[in-house]
Amino acid sequence: MSLEQYQEHMAMCMRCSCCKFIPMQRVQGDKYTYVCPSITKYNFHSYSGGGRLNIGLAMLKNGFKYTDKLLDIVYNCQMCGACGVSCNYSMDMEVMEPINEFRIKCVEGGKINPALEKVIAGLRKEGSMVPVKGKRGDWASGLNLKNAAKEKVDVLYHVGCLTSYDKDMQRLARTTVKILQKADVNFGIAGDNETCCGGRAYQMGYEQDFLNQAKKNMAMIKKAGVNTVVTSCADGYQAFKVLYDKFNLKGNLEVLHISEFVDRLIKDGKLKPQKKVAMAITYHDPCHLGRLGEPWIHWEGKKLSKSFVFDPPKEYRRGTHGIYEPPRDVLKSIPGIKFTEMTRIKEYAWCCGAGGGVNESNPEFAQWTARERIEEAGSTGAEAIVTACPWCEKTFNETVKGNGSSLKVYDIVELVEKAIS
Amino acid sequence: MIEKERLVTIVGPGKVINEPQVLQAYSQDMSFVNPVRPAYVVTPNKADEVQKIIQLANDTQTPLVPVSSGPPHFRGDTVPGTGGAVIVDLSQMKKVIFVDRARRVAMVEPGVTFDELIPVVNKEGLRLNMPLLPRKCKSVAGSILEREPVIMPKYQWDISDPLACAGLFFGTGDEFRTGQAAGPGTIEEQWAVGGVQKSPYGPGTGSWHRLIQGAQGTMGIVTWISMRCEILPSIEEPFVVGSSNLDSLIELSSWLIRLRNVNECFILNKTNLAAIFAKKYPTEYQNLKDNLPAWTLFYNLAGYEYFPEERISAYIKEINDLTQRLRIEAVKTVGGVSANEILKAVQQPSGEPYWKLRYKGACQDIFFLTIYDKLEGQIGVMNHLADEAGYGASNIGIYIQPVVQGTSCHCEFNLFFDSGNPIELDRVKTLSASATRELMAKGAFFSRPYGENTGMIVNRDAATFVALHKIKKIFDPNNVMNPGKTGF
Amino acid sequence: MALSKEIYTVFEDVVGPENICNDYVIMPSYFGKDFAAIILPKNTAEVQGVVKLCNKYKLKFRPICTGWKGTFPENIILLDLRRMNHIIEINEKNMYAVVEPYVISAQLQAELMKRGFHFNVKGAGTNTAAMLRGHGHLDQTTSGDDRNHLAIEWVTPEGNIVRSGSLGSTDEWFSGDGPGPSLRSILTSAVPPGSTPGVFTKAAVKIYHWPGPSRLPVQGVSPNITLSEIPPNFMARYYSFPSLEKMMQAEFKIGESEIAFELMGFNVAMVANNMTVSNEEGEEVFNQLKKEIQGVGFFIIIAGNCAADFEYKKKVLKHIINETGGKSLESIEKDPRTEGILLTNCIRISGSIRESFRSGGWFASIPMMGQRDLTVRWAVGAGKAKRSLIEKGLIVDDGGGFFGWGVEHGHLGKTEIFCQYDPLKPGAEEAVLKWKEEQQKRASDEHYFAMLWGPEDEIGKGLCNYQSWWSKIKKAIDPNGVALEAGSLV
Repeated sequence: MSLEQYQEHMAMCMRCSCCKFIPMQRVQGDKYTYVCPSITKYNFHSYSGGGRLNIGLAMLKNGFKYTDKLLDIVYNCQMCGACGVSCNYSMDMEVMEPINEFRIKCVEGGKINPALEKVIAGLRKEGSMVPVKGKRGDWASGLNLKNAAKEKVDVLYHVGCLTSYDKDMQRLARTTVKILQKADVNFGIAGDNETCCGGRAYQMGYEQDFLNQAKKNMAMIKKAGVNTVVTSCADGYQAFKVLYDKFNLKGNLEVLHISEFVDRLIKDGKLKPQKKVAMAITYHDPCHLGRLGEPWIHWEGKKLSKSFVFDPPKEYRRGTHGIYEPPRDVLKSIPGIKFTEMTRIKEYAWCCGAGGGVNESNPEFAQWTARERIEEAGSTGAEAIVTACPWCEKTFNETVKGNGSSLKVYDIVELVEKAIS
Repeated sequence: MIEKERLVTIVGPGKVINEPQVLQAYSQDMSFVNPVRPAYVVTPNKADEVQKIIQLANDTQTPLVPVSSGPPHFRGDTVPGTGGAVIVDLSQMKKVIFVDRARRVAMVEPGVTFDELIPVVNKEGLRLNMPLLPRKCKSVAGSILEREPVIMPKYQWDISDPLACAGLFFGTGDEFRTGQAAGPGTIEEQWAVGGVQKSPYGPGTGSWHRLIQGAQGTMGIVTWISMRCEILPSIEEPFVVGSSNLDSLIELSSWLIRLRNVNECFILNKTNLAAIFAKKYPTEYQNLKDNLPAWTLFYNLAGYEYFPEERISAYIKEINDLTQRLRIEAVKTVGGVSANEILKAVQQPSGEPYWKLRYKGACQDIFFLTIYDKLEGQIGVMNHLADEAGYGASNIGIYIQPVVQGTSCHCEFNLFFDSGNPIELDRVKTLSASATRELMAKGAFFSRPYGENTGMIVNRDAATFVALHKIKKIFDPNNVMNPGKTGF
Repeated sequence: MALSKEIYTVFEDVVGPENICNDYVIMPSYFGKDFAAIILPKNTAEVQGVVKLCNKYKLKFRPICTGWKGTFPENIILLDLRRMNHIIEINEKNMYAVVEPYVISAQLQAELMKRGFHFNVKGAGTNTAAMLRGHGHLDQTTSGDDRNHLAIEWVTPEGNIVRSGSLGSTDEWFSGDGPGPSLRSILTSAVPPGSTPGVFTKAAVKIYHWPGPSRLPVQGVSPNITLSEIPPNFMARYYSFPSLEKMMQAEFKIGESEIAFELMGFNVAMVANNMTVSNEEGEEVFNQLKKEIQGVGFFIIIAGNCAADFEYKKKVLKHIINETGGKSLESIEKDPRTEGILLTNCIRISGSIRESFRSGGWFASIPMMGQRDLTVRWAVGAGKAKRSLIEKGLIVDDGGGFFGWGVEHGHLGKTEIFCQYDPLKPGAEEAVLKWKEEQQKRASDEHYFAMLWGPEDEIGKGLCNYQSWWSKIKKAIDPNGVALEAGSLV
């Protein structure tokens, strides 16, 4: 794909500003109306989804001239996809794809962000998007888990870079395996041989690096003869399920997020959350599990001459088929949980702030974004915000500590584990 | 001074008057403005005559004072502000140009009175959104151009209603038509394709009709207006609610207007209600006052073409819920005055003599716009000042009219007095000035400044006045149009 | 034209360095013009500061709200009012709300609904600024154009602050007129077709009773949004009629009987687009609806203040429809899901983009506010003229339709006709612009109405030379000639 292929789509943008806001029907008042962190913080229209399309179109027409301001606009975007959902309520046009392609073009043209370049250097060297200390499989020592490369397993549990290497997050991996063991799932891990899914590299604009990682992962999976991958990282989920499919690498691999899998296990009676967990919570939809997690649509066809219809009909990914209900069903099945929704949820959830490389390139913006979300969570009266992605959790934890907020932050697996032990 | 012959050339002989007693009549009115004798009174019959008069006025630097209603006048806007003025009396321009039932619009010349127009529009199945009991010779166009409050707030979507378009000559002598009437084409050409000069916006960016409303003739002279009309109901069901608690009546009226259940809707205190219905003074007037509640809310329900009884019945049900919640009761009579009597009275101009003059022969009105929350405080201020001045709060007539669909209300204090009694006159004059000052301090907005209080009103908002003054200089560069009014 | 460093710094001093930019890369997102700078003021004082500097340095400026489409000259200062996004006051008893320029209609509408109110939303959608002079779906009961404004806070082209009406005299927002003549004669609009020079920094707008729930019971995942239930005492229908004449009869009778909460003279192409989630589905549904209708029609929402009121209104509606030979579209009447979609989109005004832009990407329109029956008569001819463009495949086939509705229960009206087209299709844009020019000229030559897009002096000749007066007013209030008018649509 290339930016040029999206010229028609970019030309469709007529600057209605819907991309800045949650869908109009969902606006409940003065507050929590905005959905795009970038325009909300930086204010110039260029930072909105539509603004980015306008810039992309102009550069295709007039040539690419990069300035610091342009790179500021490009890299201060969490690539969260909310703009596309809001736009695609009404419009049949691609939004995230050209925004993504523009970033890829910047990287390919050497217009990089130094902080991201550093992260990618680490990826190339260590197969990880986070600094490496020790071995990737160290979190599992003493657990005697099956090695998916050596033993036949039904499910490969892909842990993810952050959960593998971050001391504070490793507990999520251990909690996840506890749950899988409790449900008697025949699963294994890749351990030290696990490598980054490449998803975050793709968000940052490093398409080739992503493809390298994708190929490595699919080779390993094929060799292991695994049919199902379960991950507890939303970025990983989106990478395996959507991006690998986009580049025709996924094949028939079944990809499930841990929340989907646990939901299935509960509904099949293999997991019984019976212990009461008395807590007032709200749930944060990770972008890459929700709106960006909906399956890729392969389409080829032509535009009919008289109107904007296509043959065969072109389906757009509008955020409709993201994973929204399974995590909610899981949480609602835990006795004692009092669940209150925030205003911005599901396909129009506000981003945690960590995506698109912003966590690395502009931590202050990432934190600002997370603060907005923490404030929204607090407004529901919840004592805890629950999410399903370690990057969201990490960002929220840092924010809560920085704010002195009393809001607790949990991953969904932590509450499930409390309910089944 | 302008030569009479030049005026005669324009309007013809017999239409330029300078008899002393006629000039005397135009030199003063019932307000407290200083009398100033005009030089002439001219009574044009046609629009082009008006244009020529204005052009002549510019050539000779002669002030013009447009008048469209018959006497008596009350506000000082028809008294020249300076010597050598020519009164342009339009009261003989009496054509009802058309009435259009389907598009609910009528077009009239400035001399047409409510008394004359009401039967004409009624015949077409239409009615006017009227002010409260205008005097018999009150010009419809004059009332509308003065932005007088109307008694059916539901049908007043904008403060300019019921004005649609206007044909006028600016103070430069240039012809202009506002809104849809501006063009393309002449009025007749527009009629030929079915245009009825209903839409008030434009032309262009300006909403020009707003410039001439409230201007007291300082921008130009209007030679016709078109106005929106409402449909004549097929049945009506009026009610009154009496109470000593103004707050509950305000609450009820604000809901009635918000829910769009009622047509006519206003509040009168007992002094005013008695003044309207008493036939003999002072005994019957006093008896009525004694029997009436302190405040009376009047409202009217209407049914039109389709199932009118059911419509009214649905409204009554809804209103009952409201009155029960507020612990007041809607009835058919209060203190001997029936709702039907009120309805009949307010759908016509005042009988003679004009209701405000019946008691004492003269009346000074103090009126402003305000919001509900401030109203009681403002009434309190007025009452206090009246008592202090020896006028007596109980003698003040009070009229509260929600306007513009309830976004504000017109509050009017009517001070009845004997103008032949110098003590009373002086008392009312002083009270009027002090009340205006104090009420402004309490948030009263004197949107229609008249007479000798004009200066203190416009000085309160210098920025607006500066902007308006710039505009005035464009439309009347030689300041011939009613100089000295509205602060210009 | 680049601003000199010195002048740039002076503006920076007013708004802060992060709120001014003249990097060329942001210009494509601002209408593709080479502006001298984009400036984001935070409040009235900053707007005043910027405007005074524009006067000092003889720099032309123009403000925008959300800024949906527009035409601007180059080298001007563009004031993007994005940071001025507060609701200042909601006065429930006196039924008005006060907003800054970048409060979008959806925000104000939602806050009002919680309190039992709503307001007029520009038909372009609730994504547009709440303070705008507007007309839209809700005009039947919420008026339109500049008739919803009360007091306005205005930074004049010279950088003075004028607070109109009661605001200037009493610090309250309830009236925009006086003392004496009204400044609302010139304070008519922040945006075209005609706009007041200077900047509206706050405006009070009328609000109206809302008979519905504090929040519409919206459900579903985008784009499949509907209502979980039709709110009590609400009903939405589409009626088609055997002729335009019958439809207009029904529209007028409904207006006079004051029963409609909303009356929207959609054609079924727009209905189909409004209720569907893609162009393909829209085309399919359009073809299906075409078979169901008998001719032109309108969409109507009935809302009762209570059950008795609702029953009465339905009864009257039924009677009028029977009298005029109207036929209800079963796709709406018999399907609560579809009814719910249309109720949502036509109350939250969230379907306009589907109706107007989705099919073709762009559209060119001729909207007219004014006398409804007159503009309809003209629109019939404009619709016929669309057919040749449809046949040539230059515009989307919408049956040659136009749409419109009564305003203030039919006292006034709005009619609009547009052509949807693909901006990249060769010849499409020229053909559409030619059609637009011809139809506008016909409107003027045949004395229906005049459009104001075009050479002012030419147009003004037929409209009492209004433009010469306006030009004098502009000179008086903008002696340095820095405040531009034409610009962004919403």
